[in-house]
Amino acid sequence: MNPEALHTGLIETLSLTLVITSVAAVEMRRLKFSIVAYLCQALLIVGLLLSFASVNKALYWWAATALLTKAVLTPWFLFRAIRGVDDRELKPVIGFGPSAVIVALLMMSFFRLTHGKVALLAPTGMAQLEVFRTNLAVASTVFALGLYAVLTRRDAIKAVIGLCLLENGVHLSLVSLAPSLPETALFGVATEVVVTVFLLLYVIGGVRQVFGSTDTFLLRELRW
Amino acid sequence: MPGEVLTETSALPAAVFLLPVLAGVIVISATRAKRALQQWISVLTMALVTGLGTWMAYRILGNVVLTTWHRELRVDALSALMVVIIGAIGLLAAVYSARYIEERMVNGPAARRTSTFYGLLMWFLGTMLWGCVTNNVIMLYVAIEATTLTSGLLVAFYWDRRALEAGYKYLMLLTIGITFALFGCVLLYASAAATNKLDGGSALLISDIRHVVQFIPGATAAITIAFLLIGFGTKAGIAPFHPWLPDAHAEAPTPISVLLSGVMIKMSLYALARTVSIFYPAWPQVTIFIVALGTFSMLLGIILALTQNDLKRLLAYSSVSQMGYVLVGIGLGTYLGCYGGLYHLLNHALCKSLLFMCVGAVMYATGARRISELGGLRNQMPITSACYFVGALALAGFPPLNGFWSKLTIYLALARAGMWWAAGIAILASILTMVVMVRAGYRVFWGNLPTGSAPPPNLKEVPARMFVPMMILAAICVLLGIYPQAPYPLLDRAAGVLATLGR
Repeated sequence: MNPEALHTGLIETLSLTLVITSVAAVEMRRLKFSIVAYLCQALLIVGLLLSFASVNKALYWWAATALLTKAVLTPWFLFRAIRGVDDRELKPVIGFGPSAVIVALLMMSFFRLTHGKVALLAPTGMAQLEVFRTNLAVASTVFALGLYAVLTRRDAIKAVIGLCLLENGVHLSLVSLAPSLPETALFGVATEVVVTVFLLLYVIGGVRQVFGSTDTFLLRELRW
Repeated sequence: MPGEVLTETSALPAAVFLLPVLAGVIVISATRAKRALQQWISVLTMALVTGLGTWMAYRILGNVVLTTWHRELRVDALSALMVVIIGAIGLLAAVYSARYIEERMVNGPAARRTSTFYGLLMWFLGTMLWGCVTNNVIMLYVAIEATTLTSGLLVAFYWDRRALEAGYKYLMLLTIGITFALFGCVLLYASAAATNKLDGGSALLISDIRHVVQFIPGATAAITIAFLLIGFGTKAGIAPFHPWLPDAHAEAPTPISVLLSGVMIKMSLYALARTVSIFYPAWPQVTIFIVALGTFSMLLGIILALTQNDLKRLLAYSSVSQMGYVLVGIGLGTYLGCYGGLYHLLNHALCKSLLFMCVGAVMYATGARRISELGGLRNQMPITSACYFVGALALAGFPPLNGFWSKLTIYLALARAGMWWAAGIAILASILTMVVMVRAGYRVFWGNLPTGSAPPPNLKEVPARMFVPMMILAAICVLLGIYPQAPYPLLDRAAGVLATLGR
């Protein structure tokens, strides 16, 4: 096997494992495991960025930023938020069985759609290459899974994990869409997600104090 | 028609947003400083920003565009207009908050300290100003998300059940929404770079992207426009992406409601207009879609406002409706439409800030905000009462107040574009606005108190630091109604920037 094919193979394996970690993060009932799945995903993203970085040097910076914000700070904030409380997720709206079916359908449809119609999303010639097609398809799948988690999960912490997946999806797509983005822009985008997670968990901490639970179903005083 | 435009390097664009950010750092770290000192720093900073904004606007009237850091920041007439609005409303809100926040301040979690309040207030204003002066499409997203982050804790400031619920929804829904905008911005950048007509760095600059937009493939452009509309539309409170808005605007402390409704949603609409309007020359059919979205927003907002008993929620839903007018005007893409849209943006900033301040004054004096619990306040609170009616009539577009002229311009622009149906809906929504606002005002200030409840014993007019900002806003509403030509020079140039479909 020549090095180039090996490289492509590596990138594709990492990309596909990424999808599996997303599913795990969405479907795990214990929040602790869910956060671990998220952590794995973050490390995979860093690995992926590093393997793309052999083509595009600017991505080394990006990998470092991702390591700090996604693999260190975000999981740390999340673990701190569930420390000392029961970490079993509140029963979601959609049970495990139907949810698994929906997730599988989402995965297949988004992956196929983006993989097939990549020209719509990425007008660059480079994005037509197989690795970037896979990358974009994975990015949109992770995005869809995150959105699904945010919309259907009852536990506020789980919704935050969903939000992180959503952001990961968008950030992954940057590899193919905007490889030459300057560091300042990257830094701004990455920092913002961490601050969002921190603030959301801070407010959720207040919710837990005042309402006694992180159940978003309790948050329905304000209607109409 | 303005002649040759000169580009000039200047530090002013950087100064207007760095000043409040710096003041915020000072205030937020001065936890032990006297409350009065924190307030004075905030008020003086905003006064300075308003001054700088006016100076920039004056310079720009002499056919100049101000840029900083290799065109990373770029202030044209449209940006200058936004800077002046944000600066002035921010200044008045800071003055107004002096007494309002003092009254309700208690010791508690860090989120409830005055230093946090004023520090975040400065950052909130600073990030909004940054969004208005930046020329970088990715930084535009970063600035807009930063306004969400800086205002999130301000929305949840009271830290009780309702405030926490509003704060959670605010941060969650807006972050999801704005992520779509990030995707839109990235696509815009990527497709501009893919045209190979710009070098890497300048494909990020909105002022350069607009020259290559016609080379972007149609399907990509459609996806980009959809993502930008969802993303910035969520933050601008356009229906059907508005569910966060009434909660946040109603539960935040009143000076923050003033800024959320008065300027933040406008700033987001500014971002929408900046990015989407560049597509118009190549894809004019987008206008119909945006006008339809705007009319839906104006109708749905005012229908929901009809059913409200809570004064602040009523005003919040009316903001959804009024943003529809601005979107329709700007969305038309013609000079007349953009002029009307921007003029209404200015007028709505003035009268909605005024109305929120009036409702805040009623809450300050009586402690109540439900229409059914209030009545007959006109004798005890004559100034608030008069200011409320000026704001309400201006909002409804009653001649000769300022709202009348901007709405009339929008109707005319719609009629000229042949969209009579939209003009009809806009007029209907305006009549409904009149009904909603006057009915609420009548019951609160003229009607009788509900039977069985006595008026609070020492009910009196609010202190001067609260009613003076209200009187200033009311006076501007009246003056702009009598002299609608006063803001013409600036609005004319600003509309010229957006009117990509010609005059």
